[in-house]
Amino acid sequence: MKQTLITGNEAAAWGARLARPQYIPSFPITPQTECIETLARWGADGGLPNTYFDRLESEHSVMSAAVGAAAVGNRVFTATSSQGLLLMHEVLYIAAGMRLPIVMATISRGLSAPVTLWSDHNDFLDQRDSGWLMFHAENNQEVLDMMLIAYHVAEDNKVLLPVMVNMDGFVLSFTDEPVTIPSFEMVDKFLPDYAPEHTITPDRPVTIGAPALDEYTFFKAQNHVAARNALGVIEQVQDEFEKIFGRKYDMVDEFMIEDAELVLITQGSMSTTAKAAIKEMRADGIKVGLVRLRIIRPWPASAIKEALKNARAIAVIDRNVAPGRGGIMLPEIVETLYYLESRPIISSFIVGLGGNPQTEEKIKEITHKLMEDLESGTPRVEWNDVEEL
Amino acid sequence: MPEIKNIRDLPEIELFTGGSSACAGCGGSMGLKLALKALGPKTIIVNASGCMTLLPLYPTTPLKVSWIHNAIENASSTAAGVRHGLDMQGHDDMNVVVYAGDGATYDIGFASLSAAAVKNERIIYICYNNQSYGNTGFQWSSATPFGSETKTTPRGRENQIGTTFVQKDMVKIMGAHRVYAATASLAYPVDFLNKIERAKKRDGFSYIELLGSCTAGWNYDPRLTIKMSKLAVQSGMWPLYEIEEGILNLNKDFKELKPIEEFLEQQGRYKKLPPDGVQKLRSLINKHWTELKEYNGLRYV
Repeated sequence: MKQTLITGNEAAAWGARLARPQYIPSFPITPQTECIETLARWGADGGLPNTYFDRLESEHSVMSAAVGAAAVGNRVFTATSSQGLLLMHEVLYIAAGMRLPIVMATISRGLSAPVTLWSDHNDFLDQRDSGWLMFHAENNQEVLDMMLIAYHVAEDNKVLLPVMVNMDGFVLSFTDEPVTIPSFEMVDKFLPDYAPEHTITPDRPVTIGAPALDEYTFFKAQNHVAARNALGVIEQVQDEFEKIFGRKYDMVDEFMIEDAELVLITQGSMSTTAKAAIKEMRADGIKVGLVRLRIIRPWPASAIKEALKNARAIAVIDRNVAPGRGGIMLPEIVETLYYLESRPIISSFIVGLGGNPQTEEKIKEITHKLMEDLESGTPRVEWNDVEEL
Repeated sequence: MPEIKNIRDLPEIELFTGGSSACAGCGGSMGLKLALKALGPKTIIVNASGCMTLLPLYPTTPLKVSWIHNAIENASSTAAGVRHGLDMQGHDDMNVVVYAGDGATYDIGFASLSAAAVKNERIIYICYNNQSYGNTGFQWSSATPFGSETKTTPRGRENQIGTTFVQKDMVKIMGAHRVYAATASLAYPVDFLNKIERAKKRDGFSYIELLGSCTAGWNYDPRLTIKMSKLAVQSGMWPLYEIEEGILNLNKDFKELKPIEEFLEQQGRYKKLPPDGVQKLRSLINKHWTELKEYNGLRYV
């Protein structure tokens, strides 16, 4: 199939367009703006025949309007970044609590202060307890594919939860990559029309967003169960996706891990750089592999455990930081591996904040440090990009 | 509902049944009960967090219409999503009605309200104004009138006035958005319901602000809600008027306003307002009333 050079923002816009959402509320923010601008342009040219493209006065209102339209049975798409995602934060919990299958592209950018326009994952990971399902793409093709998979998973009756599809700002959002854009016919075959069972119609009054007393815990538990259900649904939907589109996705992305003693754990676009570095290190005889986290919520614990069961030393490479704690994904990995019979050494590297570039050299450096840690038997916690703390 | 002339013509339909958790004499819930008579069953209420949020309590509700509550500051944007969502589903015959308090309207939800109004979304926005953050126990909002005591503007040795700010002129601000903007009172239900009917017929945004007397916060006998509402209108505290296309129309004119003392003295919130405070409040009311009289029938915004 023909490939087209498009940016990550355009890939997200294409994913949305192919899914035929009825409502797209929008508000600009760098580096996401190009995504909604692309959709606005298509709309003005008649390219979104059954979509209302709306403009709101803040990201908070964007997510609020998304909730309103989804509550009355619309398929909804929107996109945001960074401060905008944080402004939405309050309503994200509400969207999940109301079990509305909204899909949103998030284009990661570091958080103020100080101001940065470039990417890290703190904005995205700040939403990890919101009840949303969270997917993180490595490249522009995966952005588009994840968008379609996201709608299918979100709207499954066993799930009914919103999904955010994350990509790294600039590195993907503004970079042309070859992407196969599927036809509407193929997507229609994959993604059925959204026909919600519980929605507001003129003839059937429904109350949404009422207070709950003792039942509060029950609703939260249901949200948790639905997110756990999503694990199986994602696998099933990814299989269907492969049958129709020929591209295969697993719960975690494994790269050269079969005989790997050293395993790097990454997220997002730096994984591509790390894979290139790993190929070179392999040529030098270093037994290193990579596990890329692509589904963050629900947490695919058994897939991660399975992928890491033979690793002797692991570097959790966090492009984020929880000040006073450390890398955000580190404790998630440590907990997941706690019950393994022989536990690997787990070192932590905090890298690439505010878009600080992650070069192959830096990945090799991390790998060599991990090798030392394996020899010494002592894990380390280190800030790459900071000489002295 | 055709235009009504008399209180005996109020529609009999009852979409707000018994069993609500609101206070006895609650002006806000009385307002919703009345409003639904004009709105009818094909209505969805979009509520902003406040007292009314507690009307439905899982798994019960006193309402026979659809209801969505999102948060406090986003009723207008939620309503915009609901409106376009319903239109996309072919349900353009459904009324989308925001029912929000003054804190959610004047303060925290103001940006969202302004955007929905400027885009002229087909929404009826009803603000039940109890002149405070009522649900949290009566704190200052920018709708609190001068001289009212609240929990966050208490009278004390250093400040005997209580609220020293003058409330936002919200109806004028909404009128300046080139939408339909009006005030309403529980004591004048015919006027209130006709205004809703007018809003229903408009192909765009309407803003109706109802004085929603709060027995707990204002601290008066719950039996007096309608009387308090009437006194507010007659004393000029709450004039009834509307603005359309920028033109002002005074709906209830009086040759002479009643002295405000009769309104003030029945409410705990004004009990200890010193005479110079009453004097200042009276002059603010007179100034507003004179302005309304002067612009009646003319371009106001």
